[in-house]
Amino acid sequence: MFLHNLKYELISSYRVKDLIIWLILFPMILGTLFKAAFGNIYENISTFKTIPAAVVVEDGIDDTIFRQVMDSMTQGDEPFLKITYTDMDSALELLRKDDIKGIIVCGEKLSLTVSGTGSEQSALRSFADQYNNTQHIVMETLKNDPASAQKVIMSLQEDCSPVSSKPMTQGNTDNFIQYFYNLIAMVAIYGSVTGLHITVNNQANLSPLGARKCCSPTPKAVGLGASLIGSYIVQSGCMIICVSFLRFVLDIDFGDRLLLVYISAICGGILGVSLGFFIGSLNKFSFGMKTGLCMTISMISCYLSGLMVGDIKGDIASNVPWLNNINPASVISDCFYCLNIDSDYSRLKVKLLTMFALSAVFSVLGIIMTRRKKYAYI
Amino acid sequence: MNTVVKIENLVKRYGDLIALDHLCLDIYEGEVFGLLGPNGSGKTTTINCLLSLLSYDKGSIRIFGKEMTPVSYDIKKDIGIIMQNVAVFDELTVFENIDYFCGLYINDKAKRRQYVNEAIEFTGLNDFQKFYPKKLSGGLLRRLNIACGIAHKPKLIILDEPTVAVDPQSRNKILEGIQELNRNGTTIIYTSHYMEEIEQICTRIAIMDKGRKIAEGTKDQLKRMIKNTETITTELLELPDNVLSQISALPHVYSADYSGDKLTVCCSGGKHNLIRVLDVLQKNDLSFGRVYTELPTLNDVFLEITGTALRDKED
Repeated sequence: MFLHNLKYELISSYRVKDLIIWLILFPMILGTLFKAAFGNIYENISTFKTIPAAVVVEDGIDDTIFRQVMDSMTQGDEPFLKITYTDMDSALELLRKDDIKGIIVCGEKLSLTVSGTGSEQSALRSFADQYNNTQHIVMETLKNDPASAQKVIMSLQEDCSPVSSKPMTQGNTDNFIQYFYNLIAMVAIYGSVTGLHITVNNQANLSPLGARKCCSPTPKAVGLGASLIGSYIVQSGCMIICVSFLRFVLDIDFGDRLLLVYISAICGGILGVSLGFFIGSLNKFSFGMKTGLCMTISMISCYLSGLMVGDIKGDIASNVPWLNNINPASVISDCFYCLNIDSDYSRLKVKLLTMFALSAVFSVLGIIMTRRKKYAYI
Repeated sequence: MNTVVKIENLVKRYGDLIALDHLCLDIYEGEVFGLLGPNGSGKTTTINCLLSLLSYDKGSIRIFGKEMTPVSYDIKKDIGIIMQNVAVFDELTVFENIDYFCGLYINDKAKRRQYVNEAIEFTGLNDFQKFYPKKLSGGLLRRLNIACGIAHKPKLIILDEPTVAVDPQSRNKILEGIQELNRNGTTIIYTSHYMEEIEQICTRIAIMDKGRKIAEGTKDQLKRMIKNTETITTELLELPDNVLSQISALPHVYSADYSGDKLTVCCSGGKHNLIRVLDVLQKNDLSFGRVYTELPTLNDVFLEITGTALRDKED
């Protein structure tokens, strides 16, 4: 009986055109648009380029150490700086022509002149700040322990690079990746519509089909269970298609733990279906109201997780952190953040357990509210 | 006769509205029991209560001698239901739909396949097995709805207005099918507001109005409950008042009315009423056109009991 129900649940689900449109095609289109919109921006800001700069050494300054540092900054396959030693007037002329991004003036302290703002100017400023902060240590070391000077200078050379970082994982630290995380979360939450249809097809007061099923000798828990499992399977398929499309067609880098990305997406899909099933089981509302409730919750959930406005999730984390912990879309997208950012699985485990717990609670409550029911109105 | 369905003092309220008012029904094995009444009279509410879909305020329902509840699976397995609204999956083909619903009752695959094929044969859907419901005409869709309800060979079939919006040809096929099911021993409960259908196929009838059962019996028993036994209609171009008075005074005539070039004479009992009426017209040298006589219908029964025609109520 269960397998019979499950078989037809799966057959009927994959023939639903709405499902194909909203859970497969729509995310593909949106993902492609995201890629088109954010791909170039990210390329521009994330691709490292050597920064052209002029260096002016003031008269009477011993620039031995400074020159050593500068030499290290201009060496290698992708040097941080391309330096032109010149005087101040020539340097200003180069800056005006935008041939260089800044002028580094080596005096008692390192000073910097830049025109405008941007990532290159910020990198130069960061370099100058770090140099000044450590210069004092270098000088003191040379005075007190000359033997250690070379080590300190090497340390300075390493620390001075404002573009070097030590990743916690092999994940993608691109800021725009969050939009793709939220896109996956959106697909998962859209599963609530699938969950809602389970109740429509199983409750006598919502459809003639539900009434006919209620008249059959199949226990309602069996029918509902089969419908739920069927919807979980279908939703999981949609999640796999969505992640695969983003990863392999749009070439979105989800880090090196792709299997866990798939698992997290599937868990998210199950949470979405369970949420919709729970909403559908609320007996007080009409089907239209339930549909509206489902869509509203989905959209608000996705909005607050940053699908439409990227910064909103950070603002919520700062001001109302508990909201991110109960927002299904945030919990789902957080899983991907954890996978990408964290080196261990502790936060991921918490997020996955949260999703499992929510799914279980929604599903069990839904079945309890639906089974063995007579209706006051049909 | 074994009682298949026993409804006692069933009361169902929707707020202040009483949908079922102390309804009592006994439906016996092997009969085609008709529930006749206008829209809103409580027919579908009765069926929904009977199937334990609707809660009710008072009363009891027993089917096959057992109390009916939402978890009476042993009772449900012997019931087939054909809803007023077509209840099939749009995403499944004709065959798949029948197989799905049959599978809710029959576990054995081979037996189920045989039953499904028989249901398809019975409803004449052989050529449409791979069609999706959206591709079917209204009549075929209704037949699919019926096939889904009867495929598991239930002992009791409940049909709630199964011919709504169906063309006459399909309607006749459906009615013939129901009679055939009954001949094979199935007990049928049939609700409709089409009195002709009820008269055609039902062996016993309950007439409902405003949630109450206002009459019950075979169609002959019901017709005997009312004064009218025959209505004679004659087309006349003119009818003097004195002639109308003569007709009114004839034995067994309890009502005579002339309007719209038509003389309508209602009789209660007696024989040769038509001959007597025509005698009066001939004696007064009145020429007449078509003459026809009608036996009382269930509408007349409804009219006489409630003071309103069933058809008027539908309007």
